[in-house]
Amino acid sequence: MHELSICQSMLGIVEKTMAEHPNATLERIFLDIGRGSTVESTLLSEAFEVITSGGPYEGVELVINDIPIAGRCRSCERDFTYEEFALGCPSCGSTDIEIHSGLELDIKHLEINED
Amino acid sequence: MSKVNIEKKILSGNDRVAIENRQRFSDAGLLVFNIISSPGSGKTTLLEATLDRLAGETRILVIEGDVSTERDMDRVRAHGADGIQINTGGGCHLSAKMIRDVLGELALEAADIVFIENVGNLICPSTYDLGEDIRMVLLSTAEGDDKPMKYPSIFHEAELAIITKIDLLPYLEFDVEKVGTEIGVLNPECEVLKLSALKGEGMDVWIEWIGKRLEMKRAARPVAGE
Repeated sequence: MHELSICQSMLGIVEKTMAEHPNATLERIFLDIGRGSTVESTLLSEAFEVITSGGPYEGVELVINDIPIAGRCRSCERDFTYEEFALGCPSCGSTDIEIHSGLELDIKHLEINED
Repeated sequence: MSKVNIEKKILSGNDRVAIENRQRFSDAGLLVFNIISSPGSGKTTLLEATLDRLAGETRILVIEGDVSTERDMDRVRAHGADGIQINTGGGCHLSAKMIRDVLGELALEAADIVFIENVGNLICPSTYDLGEDIRMVLLSTAEGDDKPMKYPSIFHEAELAIITKIDLLPYLEFDVEKVGTEIGVLNPECEVLKLSALKGEGMDVWIEWIGKRLEMKRAARPVAGE
């Protein structure tokens, strides 16, 4: 359960960014979280609620873009996506595959209201 | 409503400190391992056996990560290692900052190898770069042969996987070949070794592996004064 610590790192970046917009209100935080990243989106949202409760970011919406695991088979040269890691290419079964995405743990952008 | 672009890795702060750590280790000519596994898969026992094998020829520092107690540090000290215990107080992984905070207390220049034994956990530590050269994962035969696909991230990230407690194979249904295949799918570059730290089988190959990597690291290091 390292979602709390991931959340703290994310809020560190958010705070730094918001310091450049002192009169703005934070509305939404947009994240890319890969399914193979070891971070569970529901737990991350729960951690976010706990950690922001009573503070300036209480009620801010965390928008998580769930990225599936995607790759390419080196044998049949087909692209594929997995809901979760699986054993080999879903088309031909070859184990000679490469994974391109699904390990993301990124903060993409913020939506703010500048009054 | 306006949009503010960030486009950063959430753990970019950790990664930055990891790069600093890697530089400090490299400046001191150290080969650094980050050992990750479930609790009880034999990390400390492997360290004890490794210390016994390398005693006298290789100087070893150990950084122990545990939620609480100095038990692991006491064990490796009894086998001749210097080092330090980090207690995370509930934290499920070590971070680059935790490592940086203890580096000042270690005689880095006087050592050849640093083994960082991460907190026993097959999930969280895989996300945190500590500044190591080699990220390695242990899987004991007693844990079962279905683990690589159940905990894919660490097997995807690791450069070396060691199947431990192979002396128990006669008593278990553990398919070594299946584990090798699953790891190969997750990470074709990952090397797989198998050993029993307790009985000694397979230890020679592991010790040779360390020696080879130590030589590579030394060869890559610029000679002082040049």
